[in-house]
Amino acid sequence: MNRSKTPTRMRFFAIKVLRVLTIALMVSALANPVHAEVDAELGKKLFKANCASCHKLDKKLVGPALAGVTERRSEEWLLAWIRNNAELRASGDADANAIFEEYGGSVMSAFENLSEDDIKSILAYTSIPAAAPAPAKDLVPAPLADRPVEDDSTLLYILGAFLFLFVILLLRIRNTLKEVNGDTGTTVIQDANALTRWLVSNKRFMTAMTIIVTVAFLYQLFWFLMGIGVEQNYQPVQPIAFSHKIHAGENQVDCNYCHSSARSSKHSGIPSTNVCMNCHMYIDGSEIVNEAGALKYAGDRSPEIAKIYAAIGWDAENRTYIENYEQKPVKWIRLHNLPDLAYFNHAQHVTAGQVECQTCHGPVEEMEVMYQYSELTMGWCINCHRETEVKKTNGYYANAEEGTQSINERLAAKFHDEKITVEKIGGLECGKCHY
Amino acid sequence: MATEKVYWKGFDQLANTEVSQRMAQNEFASEIPMEQFLGDEKLMGSAQTSRRDFLKYLGFSTAAATLAACEAPIIESIPYVVKPDSLTPGMPTYYATAYTDGQDFASVLVKTREGRPIKIEAGDQGRFNRGTNGRAQASVLSLYDSARLRQPQKGGVESDWATIEADLKSAVDASITSGKQFILITGSVFSPSFKGLIAKLRQAHNNFIHVEVDAVSSSEVLDVWEALTGVRAIPTMDLSAAKLVVSFGEDFLSAGSAQQMSKAYAGSRKPGKSMLRHIQVESNLSLTGSNADKRVKIKPSQVGSALAYLLNEVSNTSLAIASLDDSLKGQLKGIAAELMALKGQSLVLVGGNSGANAHLAVALNAALNNVGSTVRVDQPIYIRSGNDRAFDNAMADMSANAVGVVVLVGANPGYSRPGFPEAMAKVEYSLSLCDRLDETAALCAAAAPVPHYLESWADYMPTASDLAIAQPTIRPLFNSKPAIEVLGSLIGEAQSSKDWVKSTVSAKGLSWSQTLHDGGASMEVKSSISASEVASRAMSGASEAASTAASAKSGDFEIALYQKTVGSGNQSNNPWLHELPDPISRAAWDNYLTISAKDALALGIVNETQSNGALNGSLVTLTVGDITLANVPALIQPGQAQGTVGLAVGYGRTAAGRVADGLGVNAYSLNISQGFAAVSMTLEEGEHEFASTQLGNTMMGRKIVNEVSLADYVADPAGASWNEKPTFHTLEGSKTANEANLWANHDHETMHMWNMSIDLNSCTGCGACVIACHMENNVPVVGKQEIRNFRDMHWLRIDRYYSSDMTKDRANDENVGGIDMYAQMEVPGESPEVVFQPVMCQHCNHAPCETVCPVGATVHSREGLNHMAYNRCIGTRYCANNCPYKVRRFNWFNYQKNERFTSVNPAQDDYGRMVLNPDVTVRSRGVMEKCTMCIQRIQYGKLEAKKAGQPLADGAVTTACAQACDSGAITFGDVNTAGSAVQVAKNDARSYHLLEEVGTQPSVFYQTKVRNTRA
Repeated sequence: MNRSKTPTRMRFFAIKVLRVLTIALMVSALANPVHAEVDAELGKKLFKANCASCHKLDKKLVGPALAGVTERRSEEWLLAWIRNNAELRASGDADANAIFEEYGGSVMSAFENLSEDDIKSILAYTSIPAAAPAPAKDLVPAPLADRPVEDDSTLLYILGAFLFLFVILLLRIRNTLKEVNGDTGTTVIQDANALTRWLVSNKRFMTAMTIIVTVAFLYQLFWFLMGIGVEQNYQPVQPIAFSHKIHAGENQVDCNYCHSSARSSKHSGIPSTNVCMNCHMYIDGSEIVNEAGALKYAGDRSPEIAKIYAAIGWDAENRTYIENYEQKPVKWIRLHNLPDLAYFNHAQHVTAGQVECQTCHGPVEEMEVMYQYSELTMGWCINCHRETEVKKTNGYYANAEEGTQSINERLAAKFHDEKITVEKIGGLECGKCHY
Repeated sequence: MATEKVYWKGFDQLANTEVSQRMAQNEFASEIPMEQFLGDEKLMGSAQTSRRDFLKYLGFSTAAATLAACEAPIIESIPYVVKPDSLTPGMPTYYATAYTDGQDFASVLVKTREGRPIKIEAGDQGRFNRGTNGRAQASVLSLYDSARLRQPQKGGVESDWATIEADLKSAVDASITSGKQFILITGSVFSPSFKGLIAKLRQAHNNFIHVEVDAVSSSEVLDVWEALTGVRAIPTMDLSAAKLVVSFGEDFLSAGSAQQMSKAYAGSRKPGKSMLRHIQVESNLSLTGSNADKRVKIKPSQVGSALAYLLNEVSNTSLAIASLDDSLKGQLKGIAAELMALKGQSLVLVGGNSGANAHLAVALNAALNNVGSTVRVDQPIYIRSGNDRAFDNAMADMSANAVGVVVLVGANPGYSRPGFPEAMAKVEYSLSLCDRLDETAALCAAAAPVPHYLESWADYMPTASDLAIAQPTIRPLFNSKPAIEVLGSLIGEAQSSKDWVKSTVSAKGLSWSQTLHDGGASMEVKSSISASEVASRAMSGASEAASTAASAKSGDFEIALYQKTVGSGNQSNNPWLHELPDPISRAAWDNYLTISAKDALALGIVNETQSNGALNGSLVTLTVGDITLANVPALIQPGQAQGTVGLAVGYGRTAAGRVADGLGVNAYSLNISQGFAAVSMTLEEGEHEFASTQLGNTMMGRKIVNEVSLADYVADPAGASWNEKPTFHTLEGSKTANEANLWANHDHETMHMWNMSIDLNSCTGCGACVIACHMENNVPVVGKQEIRNFRDMHWLRIDRYYSSDMTKDRANDENVGGIDMYAQMEVPGESPEVVFQPVMCQHCNHAPCETVCPVGATVHSREGLNHMAYNRCIGTRYCANNCPYKVRRFNWFNYQKNERFTSVNPAQDDYGRMVLNPDVTVRSRGVMEKCTMCIQRIQYGKLEAKKAGQPLADGAVTTACAQACDSGAITFGDVNTAGSAVQVAKNDARSYHLLEEVGTQPSVFYQTKVRNTRA
């Protein structure tokens, strides 16, 4: 099954155990919430969704570092600023105008959709002291190059070769002993002939062997054929060396910030270049440090980020978009390719099913180079549909029109206390995915 | 009895000629040069490839193909650089716009996906003529027609816009200096912007003349209304205010503002005491006529006299009348009595383009006090304004070398007006602004592309009180330029087409964004037209009109032109429109002469069913005046008036594109401006092959379409006497089809249960639903030959049944034996009643198809649907054979790849593929397919509800067919939702299942047709 791909398709063979361990670690990390306060938890979510693209807690980004911001400013002022900073500035607030000037007049969006409690939650989150060891550190998997490149079967082949050599060696030893004993020695060919004659005369043994070999061959063939088209671990080289680890892991940008249509649409959507520019207008990668702690690009902008600028036509020197620029879209290599006959909808899983992105895509926040984590086979889909419980709290199931029983009530009448899996509401039916 | 029979292959064999003896001995008709090749050692030796090499190549290529198949291709995923805010990949975006193709006008919504328009849906509430007929539905495919003109052309060579505009300017300047005319020929213009431009052009050029010409002319009728009301427009005919409509050959359910008419018609024909009664007096069996409660056959030349006769009956006038036979007079007397009883609540309509007839109809309406009540003279409709006199004058001027420049915009008189090509030859410079190099563009010095309506900005005033806005839904595919900008450049007008529309909106004092969002606006307009004045004018001119009508030229045979779904021919190159069988004749991909069975017999015209079930017919040559039209296929049409024949326009195109060219004959070439004329016919040698989709024309006494008269319905609203349900005798006593089960029931209570109700009383048979289904579900187009082989792929068909003169009751009374009775039942009556029945997969709860599938490719869902998994299907076709409704369709070919479908299947070129619905699989060869009840829409609707966290509301999910139906005949929904429309329909006394006695328990049910007949 380890077919080598075209040169652009590097494959790596991660030991499954390592992956299971990483997931286990991750799950345990999630299971032990760092903060006990409920509103701060909400605040964290809101921060990731609304603020993280421009703010970090401990570091200046587009805007100032926000850790301990409640100590620097009054809550009242912060509420007004976050709600609608333009209004606050217009009202002539000196602090507001000062901070606006300090950050080069870059405009912060108004967040009028956030309630007062929401904002307070965010502030509560910013006021929590930074958790001591970054859990991400432990979760980082071995770098790509260090991962073992053989899998179990290669080891088996080597073992088999050793055993074969060992048999030859023993035969030679026996031959030498015979010669020492005064008997005539036999060559390997003669031994092989004798074995063949013995095998031919033992019909039962031969029959049994034939059956075993045939079954083993067919078994292997079956799994080989089943593997055709399964692109698990597919990890192509992308036109931009984009690191999910830096974005989703270290900088904790919410998945939905870039893949915004995953919540509403069939496609998760690859972010358009202007979404990149929301942050990379200010972050040009010049401050990236290498392992030695020195500036990686000697203070120049990152050549990878420069590719974004080249795509959209951003003049980084003068900080303006080049007029009449012929924009060149980035040609990403698509990783997750479902066949046309299967209909998959992200919104159904992300919004209605509340499935975490990582359930199917794996620990993306740790992936330096993105790869296909799951098999994406029908059996894999079906298994999940058999096991996953329906999010019955959704109003679609819980509520009903006047005079009609809700779906939840009807499901309860039929299945009583059983766990309502996706299967029970028809999630295994052909027509749900194939039409 | 021993089988001693001998079957002859042909007459030759019977006569046992020498040739046939020799043929019998040889297996192959001609010698196969086998020896010559294999016996020649030298030839064999010199061959480059030995047998061993061949085997090597075979082995290698098999292995290579296998390995190559394992390698998945690298797929690129290219996001926008700057994504438009309004667009989310994978989600539809809707735009309100206005559809017009030079013939129809409709307010529509356009569904786009990833920036491509893929579906046309009915426009917002309150917009004029909101809805979609077949042509409006199909128009999205015309956008992607690869036959469209892509670049401006000059003298047949590719050119550019600057050259075209410069040439036009200098030609216009030259025409001014030489004192010749500058003529602009368009279709009907009801766009305020374009009218504004024309006014400016007229101001700037004193030699400028604007001429409007419609392919199917209403010019004489418009002349009448212009004389009566002062406005060159036909008023609104308000069916909703009428209790009786008498239509003389007017096909109001498929022509003009048919969407509006269909809605009102269906609304007024809800069964009950106040149900609208409809009488149709016509020669061809039209769609409207087939829906009538009473249908009277008449020759087209007699229509005027019939109207005058009615006028004499109702208002004591004594107008001149040509001789009418007594039976017709008797029927007209009955109609007169009915009209008299409903004064002010009736409506008389007249079709065709005869001014005298139109005038008499107004006079009759006036005499019946209908003008002002059902004839809304205060609401004229401007979508028709062609003027034939102006056009004829222009042609005369052109022929007289008096014209310097002719510019054509969206008009194709080169196809529809005989004599136009000759006149064009005398014009110095001509430019056609067109969508393709059509018959007219071929006559012009230059031709340049204008954008499709889905690519352009435009504004329309279909009535004085309705403004409609058309907005682009895609960037122009080709190097096209709106006509308003090209002509504007002549007078230095710098406005873009969008600016024109914007200034129209602001001139009306409307909000731009709101108007654009709604696709238009309605305004209060006070009309100055007085109904009583119109009525008195109509009455005073009646006698003159009657004498004109009485002298209408009659003949032994008269021809009446009509329109099929293809319409006047503007969208002839649209394969969806051709693939849709004619609602009445059920023949696709053709036009033909419709003729009554008696006349056919007299003339020796035959229609024969071939051994493969396909229909062949005779050919005739038509002669009208001194014009002949050769080799017109003749189709025997029940309900055709004797002494009349019908022929559809819109066919016989020569430069429309690969689909339309050479299809049918051009009826316009007969030059019949009034729509009817005397004709003579001669039978020709040869046969024509029809692609007819239905050969069983009658119901053979079965309850397929259940029908009841209004009187019986009112007398027994519970339906016990007219909607009897079949019962089965079982050991446990008599049981209904729902109770007598062989199988265990599915659980249909827990989740949704999708059901569909089809009201046969509302269904007019127009076929818009079929085309909507076609595009929503990526149904392949298969072309004429495959339709002829009964391999049409429509998931939804509309069966049409004629009544037969023989019934079981009559057979009883007259003592006709069983075999004779059934033989006679097969023959449709001379004046049959017609019923339509849309049939799609019935989604049976005990589905016969599911039990016979050997691979479980078709299975039942918890939501009452019969699923079809294409990739499981191995193509045994057992399911289709076991389906009692014959709704399963088999992919005999890979229609989107196979070269024999290249000329018809739009999915075979890059443009046509863009119309495919990305949510629906394109099926491959060897699999079965069928109606899914638009499962993609169901899933979408459920997901939207889940995203909003709300229960699924009734009406949130609807199928493409239900949505396309202007008359609201199709209701779709969840019967598990209390009070849902479909639940109400299910419990209605009129509801019944098709072939209920089979016990399939379908999820689709029908509502009994109620006919408002009088004893």
